[in-house]
Amino acid sequence: MTLVAGVDIGSTTAKCALIEDGKVVGRSLNPVGVELVKDAERALALALSDSGRERRDVRAVTGTGYGRFKVTFGQFTVTEIGCHAKGAHFLFPATRVVLDIGGQDTKAIKVDANGVVIDFAMNDKCAAGTGRFLDVCAGALGYDVSEIGPLSLGARRPVKVTNTCTVFAESEVSSYVARGKDPKDILAGLYGSIVSRSLSLLQRVGVEPEVTFTGGVSRNEGMVRTLRARLGLPVNVSPLSQFVGAIGAALYGLERLEAVPA
Amino acid sequence: MITCGLDLGAGSTKGVLLEDGRRIVATALAPTRGHAVDAGRTVLELLAEEANLFPGDIEYLCTTGGARYAFPDRHLQVSDITASARGAVFLRPGVRHVVDIGSQSSRAMSVSETGRVLRFKMNEKCAAGAGRFVDRCAKYLQVPLDEMAPKALASTKPKIISSVCAVLAETEIINNVAEDVPLPDILMGVFLSLAQRAYVLMRNVGIQPDVALVGGLVRSEAMVRALERTVGAPIVADPQAPHAAAIGAAVLGHSRLQKLSQRPTPLAAAEV
Repeated sequence: MTLVAGVDIGSTTAKCALIEDGKVVGRSLNPVGVELVKDAERALALALSDSGRERRDVRAVTGTGYGRFKVTFGQFTVTEIGCHAKGAHFLFPATRVVLDIGGQDTKAIKVDANGVVIDFAMNDKCAAGTGRFLDVCAGALGYDVSEIGPLSLGARRPVKVTNTCTVFAESEVSSYVARGKDPKDILAGLYGSIVSRSLSLLQRVGVEPEVTFTGGVSRNEGMVRTLRARLGLPVNVSPLSQFVGAIGAALYGLERLEAVPA
Repeated sequence: MITCGLDLGAGSTKGVLLEDGRRIVATALAPTRGHAVDAGRTVLELLAEEANLFPGDIEYLCTTGGARYAFPDRHLQVSDITASARGAVFLRPGVRHVVDIGSQSSRAMSVSETGRVLRFKMNEKCAAGAGRFVDRCAKYLQVPLDEMAPKALASTKPKIISSVCAVLAETEIINNVAEDVPLPDILMGVFLSLAQRAYVLMRNVGIQPDVALVGGLVRSEAMVRALERTVGAPIVADPQAPHAAAIGAAVLGHSRLQKLSQRPTPLAAAEV
């Protein structure tokens, strides 16, 4: 009966997951602003009210994500790579490769049978192939990134997005719009471009089933379908795929508590 | 003898008229806005008007820039690297290294005393280090483009941008605004960041004085200062340097025309 919390402060959203007895009992998701400490506090408070529990019931809070050091009220911090590995293993125990596409970076993580990281490859230098790329290009199409998921379904002739750079791809999308291309085909082209970037990271760590897709971009149905098709493998996507980092962090805190009996 | 150089760039289209290969008699500029041919025609009209000529008085037209093949009424086209090197040396004969920051690409070249390109490096894959980055910063910082430089020059502690990517740099700049970093320091950070990207290309080619900056950003004093600070050497910033590639195209057009008049052959559009 140990309640633990994981708080994942990403570049775009703050996630919190509460775990008790091997189950996710509460969660929250909200956009981050510039005051990350407050965003982290709010993430925990919202997850507590989601689960109907009190702050004093929480035995450990673990921070992860690029803003993990802003989880100033937590006991532990862990990198998001370890957390995504652990969280993916918790949801899909046969996971061997995790693809995490977040707001500002993309990671391919190879894990062992216990969910421990063996190897990883990441792009955090450039917005190409990240959620940000999708965000900017959706904007050029006149959509919010949250609504484009199903819109590429039924695309017949995906366009080829030739530019890697997000800024240039945005112009390319605008020129396709100006030429009257079907938004479905443009979106399918964008998903193809992101998946190509992801595949090169995945190949660096070595693709092995099962593959689990995590992070905000995994909520996008078109992306999931494109990844499955290009990989030629089934891809696990949990309804909690955006919380995988937070879940991993909570589990990490639990392990630490068990290792050091109070 | 009037030759015209037309630089059909991604951001703007520049043109010059050159008399006898020596004297610039007109310069003009129009935003490209995705329609290179229209912008080129507009620039030709502006040039003719400024020089008080009919467009038909232009004896030879040489295009350069990304859309150089798209313009139909040309006699010749030359690459933008060849053209801006030649233009920079035409403007300032002592120049041996040219850095050209365009809207979508940037390049560094070492050049001979006749303005021939000896070595060059180019970045056209990514917006980091291209002029577009400054436009975007101006937009989201809500500072008009022409006010950026004077404001940046007031900076005392420039805020260096750590992201290389133009998109991720935006997030970083927005965070700086939220953390109350003074606007001049943020703006100077933008120019220093561009200068650093240019410096990577420049070092690759090898830097030799005199170093000239050409392309639209040369109008921005903050850009010139940022580059001087990064390179650690004075930078030649000619007032006509935004037109360097168009000037180079006109010069190359003139020498081609002279060769043709010595040895009569049919006018062939060929890459120099």
